[in-house]
Amino acid sequence: MPMFRSNDFKKAALGVAALIAALMPHVASATLGQPETTVQNDIAHAHASLKSSQDRTGYRVHEIQLPSGTVMREFVAPNGTVFAVAWQGPTRPDLRQALGQYFDAFASAPRSKFSDRRHVQIQQGDVVVQSGGHMRALSGRAYLQSAIPSGVNLGDLH
Amino acid sequence: MVSMRALKMGLCSVLCLSAMACGGGGGGGTASNGGGTPPPPPPTSTANTVSVIVDEGPSNQSVNTMFTSVTVCVPGSTTSCQTIDHIQVDTGSYGLRLLAPVLTLTLPVETLANGNSLAECTEFVDGFSWGPIATADIQIAGETAHALPVQVIGDSRFTNIPAECSGTGGTEEDTVTAFGANGILGIGPFELDCGDCDTTTHGLYFACATSCTDTTVPDNLQVPNPVTHFAADNNGAIVVLPSVAAGGAANVMGSLIFGIDTQTDNASGTQTVLTVDDNAELLIMFNGQSLGNSFIDSGSNGIYFADSSINMCTAPANDPTSQIVNFYCPASTLTLPLTIQGMNGTMTNNLTFDVGNAENMLNNNFDAYPQLAGTLPAGNAGTFDFGLPFFYGRRVAIAVQGAMTTAGTGPYIAF
Repeated sequence: MPMFRSNDFKKAALGVAALIAALMPHVASATLGQPETTVQNDIAHAHASLKSSQDRTGYRVHEIQLPSGTVMREFVAPNGTVFAVAWQGPTRPDLRQALGQYFDAFASAPRSKFSDRRHVQIQQGDVVVQSGGHMRALSGRAYLQSAIPSGVNLGDLH
Repeated sequence: MVSMRALKMGLCSVLCLSAMACGGGGGGGTASNGGGTPPPPPPTSTANTVSVIVDEGPSNQSVNTMFTSVTVCVPGSTTSCQTIDHIQVDTGSYGLRLLAPVLTLTLPVETLANGNSLAECTEFVDGFSWGPIATADIQIAGETAHALPVQVIGDSRFTNIPAECSGTGGTEEDTVTAFGANGILGIGPFELDCGDCDTTTHGLYFACATSCTDTTVPDNLQVPNPVTHFAADNNGAIVVLPSVAAGGAANVMGSLIFGIDTQTDNASGTQTVLTVDDNAELLIMFNGQSLGNSFIDSGSNGIYFADSSINMCTAPANDPTSQIVNFYCPASTLTLPLTIQGMNGTMTNNLTFDVGNAENMLNNNFDAYPQLAGTLPAGNAGTFDFGLPFFYGRRVAIAVQGAMTTAGTGPYIAF
């Protein structure tokens, strides 16, 4: 029941999120493949706010609220590298910012012959971009296969 | 009103060249799973039914994609008009969008209070379409909307795509080939393509002078579901498609009926009414999971869900363009149960759907495949996307938000 797990996560995380956010005010929107610590300017770029940060087994998740209503989640490996970003909301976030050097993979990757306007599954070298949904409710994620910490379940990255 | 009547009369002579385009018939399909049994349609005050077709589309590479024709006029004119075919009928989006390369008219671009021109970056899952918002008088069957905001995609007057638009990622879909249609008719169960663009910027609407900047925009300038602006029959629409043989069909003809309970041919019967949430989504229970972000959507070309127990098609190595990428290829056809539940708590019972072998089916080179199914990545947690195959053999009504019909109050989907 993923939908409920997500809610439970929010409840559990909210209590500690404020504390973590206070301790790490510099952590904000990150860029795929880049260090967690280089991103303090990005939150200003997006006029966003850090909703919560949570340590999970094997990685850390920052949840970022964008003014558009879209929520981003950014997944940081123990070595400090952002190995995945995910989004859900009425519109996409600035993926040029969030995907960094991997942005072009999403923009220019060849599509399957019968792709439609509702699904994207791209693999370009190390980067995977997957997205779904419909107008007014879009979701997706991008991750670096080589950077996923061992033991992390892909199904949890959303 | 005089001009509207003249418009209607003038255009009907064009549209009635096709009997189905103006026939008040409806119910052309064999709605084997449909609930209602409306009485035979007598002549009606407004022709409310247009034919639809599932074919390969103008890009010659569409499957399970439904198209219709729309007549567009320069506002106020009964002579500067054009009928455009292969407009995709999409219950999963909102608004009429036309591809500029097929548009022979020059439609006036909307301006904001400060005189800037209004443009839009429409976000689809796989990319974006950029172009100005213009106004047009439109007619579909006998239904008319005056000075309707529509998007003109790929307009040569607006070639500088803002970084905030292209930065949303994906493919630029500003040509007929890239878009796969000459336009799109979004008739989902809400009025507008953005829930709060009157107060919040989203990187959707842009104010353009020498350059374009992200802007809020009053509701009346936004791109609406055209049905909601029709003079009549404006509370929803009904899609009627016949059943399709398991292996597929070269193409499929059906009907799009406007209005619900406004005429005898669109009367509600005893169908199941499932209300949808603010995202036009509902709950689908499948394989022991409750998938709360699910949707029924004519704009999806298959049945998309995650089930790791079903064999994926094996595409040729290093060929991401293969026609079988991301589709299921079970050794033999699977018949799987699912339950759909609306926000009103109403549940369907004893529904099943079939998953065929996509590789075998697609080798038939048809355009309609009722058993075409594909994967959703694990990142799309909680989603079952039941695309156009849901509509085959059904009569599916989409009631817009606030519509009060004898069957219920929109937003809902009923079948």
